[in-house]
Amino acid sequence: MSMVGPEVLRLDRVGKSYPMGDTIVNALVDASFTLHEGEAVAILGPSGSGKSTLMHLLGFLDSPSSGEILFEGRPVAALTERQRARIRAEKIGFVFQAFNLLPRLTVRANVALPLTYHGGEVPDAAARVDRALELVGMTNRAHHKPGELSGGQRQRVAIARALVNEPRILLADEPTGNLDTKTAAAILDLFKELNRLGRTIVVVTHSPEIAAHFKRQLHVLDGGVTEGGAK
Amino acid sequence: MKRLFSGVINGLGEIWGHKLRSLLTIACVMLGVASMVVTTGFMEGFFGTWETSLNERGGLEKINGRPHQIADRQAPLAPVSRGFTLEDARALRELVPTLGVLSPEIDDSNVRLTRGNRRHTGRVQGVTEGIFEINRYDIAEGRAFSDLDYHDHAEVIIIGSEVRKNCFEPGENPVGRFLDYNGRPFLVIGVLQHYERLYGTYNTLRWKNDIAFIPITTMASKVKRSDRLSWLNMKAQDLSRLRESVDAAGNVLAQQHRGIIDFQVTTNEEALASFASTKASFVIGGSAIAGVSLLVSGIGIMNLMLASINERVREIGIRKAIGATSFNIFSQFVAEAVTLSLLGGAAGVAVAVGAIKGLAYVIPPGSAPLLAPSAFVVGFAFSVTAGVLAGVYPAIQAAKLDPIEALRYE
Repeated sequence: MSMVGPEVLRLDRVGKSYPMGDTIVNALVDASFTLHEGEAVAILGPSGSGKSTLMHLLGFLDSPSSGEILFEGRPVAALTERQRARIRAEKIGFVFQAFNLLPRLTVRANVALPLTYHGGEVPDAAARVDRALELVGMTNRAHHKPGELSGGQRQRVAIARALVNEPRILLADEPTGNLDTKTAAAILDLFKELNRLGRTIVVVTHSPEIAAHFKRQLHVLDGGVTEGGAK
Repeated sequence: MKRLFSGVINGLGEIWGHKLRSLLTIACVMLGVASMVVTTGFMEGFFGTWETSLNERGGLEKINGRPHQIADRQAPLAPVSRGFTLEDARALRELVPTLGVLSPEIDDSNVRLTRGNRRHTGRVQGVTEGIFEINRYDIAEGRAFSDLDYHDHAEVIIIGSEVRKNCFEPGENPVGRFLDYNGRPFLVIGVLQHYERLYGTYNTLRWKNDIAFIPITTMASKVKRSDRLSWLNMKAQDLSRLRESVDAAGNVLAQQHRGIIDFQVTTNEEALASFASTKASFVIGGSAIAGVSLLVSGIGIMNLMLASINERVREIGIRKAIGATSFNIFSQFVAEAVTLSLLGGAAGVAVAVGAIKGLAYVIPPGSAPLLAPSAFVVGFAFSVTAGVLAGVYPAIQAAKLDPIEALRYE
C-alpha cells in the first residue's frame, strides 16, 4: 500500500452480536482494520455476512458489543449521542442503496440538509451546495424534486448530499444496487474521480466486479473480516 | 429564533403535503379557539355592561333608600308613618355625618314636555344637587340649580340631550327658552351632557339622556303637591364607613317613620356579591368549555402527528444518519405541531370575530358578546399551548427512533 495519509478510522477486535429469537447472532467477530485518509476501500461479502452491520458501526449508527472503534484516534464509545451526531453531520457522508432522498424537498434542499445539522451557521452554505452539485454534474437539476429524476441522477444527488459537508470519509452502502449496469459504471467512475481528488471512500458491496474497482478490499464472511488482494 | 422560524417553514411544507388531514386538524383547533373566544366575549359583554352600569349609578359607596312593602305584622300601624319625605333627608343630613351626599328624588314618569308642536314623552325628576354627584351628571350648557331656585320653588328645568333633540331644532340653544310641563312654562336653565356607550348599535347610557330635572321643592309644591319621595339615595363618604352609614341611616329612618319599617336600605355591595357569584360560576363554566376545547384540539393535533411520524419513520432515519441529533428531530416535530395550532388559532380568532359581529345583530344588546382584546391573546396562547402539549409526546416518540431500524423501515 502506498500513498496513504493519516489514520481516520480504526477498528480494534470489534464484535457485534444481537439476540434473534432464542439464539444469539454473532454478526461480527474480532474485526480489526484501519482506514487511512485518501484510501478507496471496498467491503465485499455476500448478503448476511455482516457487512451492513460493519457499515453501521463505521458510521456510529450502532455501537459494538465488544472491542473498540476509534475515529481520528478518539474512542467513539466515549462520545455522547450528541457528539456522534455532530461528527456524522460534519465529518461523515452516507450514501445508501435506496438513495434515501426526502421526496418533498428539492434537489438543492436535499443536498443542503446536512449543513442544517452543523454546530453553527455554515457561512458558505450556498457555495458548498453549488460545489457539491457541480461535482456530481447535477447543477441543472437543482430545483427539481427527486421524483422527477432517474435512479442514476438520484444517486448522484445523494452523493452530493454526502459530499456537501466535505467529510473525512464517505460511506456508501451498495450504492449501485438499484441501478442498471451502465448507470452503475458511471457512479463507480464518479467514486474513482472523487478518490483521485483525495476523498476517502468506503463502498460496501456483494459484487466482486464492483469491488475490483477499488484499490483495497476487505472480505467479510460469517462475521470475520480479512484483508483481500490489495493492488 | 432562526431555528424556530425555519422549523415553522418546514412545518408549513409538511402541512401542505397533507392538505386534507391538516385541514381537519386545523378545523379542530379553530373550533376550540373560536368557542373559547366567543365564550369569553359573552362573559365580557355581560359583566362589562354590568360594571359600567354599576359605576354610572353611583358605584360601591352608594346607599339606596326606597319605600318598601310593610311587613304583615305592622300593617295595621301603617298610617302611623308619614312615609319617605323631604323631612327624612333633612334628618339624615343632620344626624348621619358619614353620609357624603344625599339625593332625595321625586319621580314624575310618563310626562309630556311640549314646545309648540314639538314634544317629548319621558321622565321628569324633582331633585337636589345630590343627584348630579351620585348618578354622575354633568351640565354641558347653562347652569345648575341655585339655592334660590330651591327656596323660591322656581319653575326652571334642566334637560337631557334626548329632550333637547325632541323639543329643539338642531343647533338651537335651549337655554333661556321655555318648555311646557303640565301646562306650566318652565325656563330651561341647563342642558346635560350627552352620554353614549355603544354596545353594538345600542346606547347603554340612553337612560341618562332621556331625562329632565326640576328643583325638588318645585316638584313637591307645584307638580305633585306632596313631598313623598320616590327614592332617597345616599353616598357614604368613603367605602370604609359604608356599613356604619347604612346602619345609622336605617336607625334614623326607623325613628322618622315611628318604627314602621316601610322602607328598605340597600347597597350595591349586595348586588356586587351576587354579581361576583354569578361571575364565578360563569368563569367556571367558561373554563370548562375552554378545557374541553383544549383537549379536543390537543387530541386532533396528537393524532395527526402520530400518523405523520408513522409515515415518516424513514425520513427520521435519514435525518439521523446525516447528523440530526434526537433533539433536532424532537424540535422539528414540536415546531410542526405548533405551526398547525398557530394556523388553527388564527383561523379560530377570525371565525370568532365573525361570530361575535354576527351575534351582535341577532342577540339583544346587554347579553350579546363583546370583542375582548384579552380573549384574542388568550385564544392564541391557548392554541400554542395545545400545540406544544400535543406535539411533545409524538416528538419524543420520533426522537427515540433507532436510526438503523428507521432506515430499514419500508
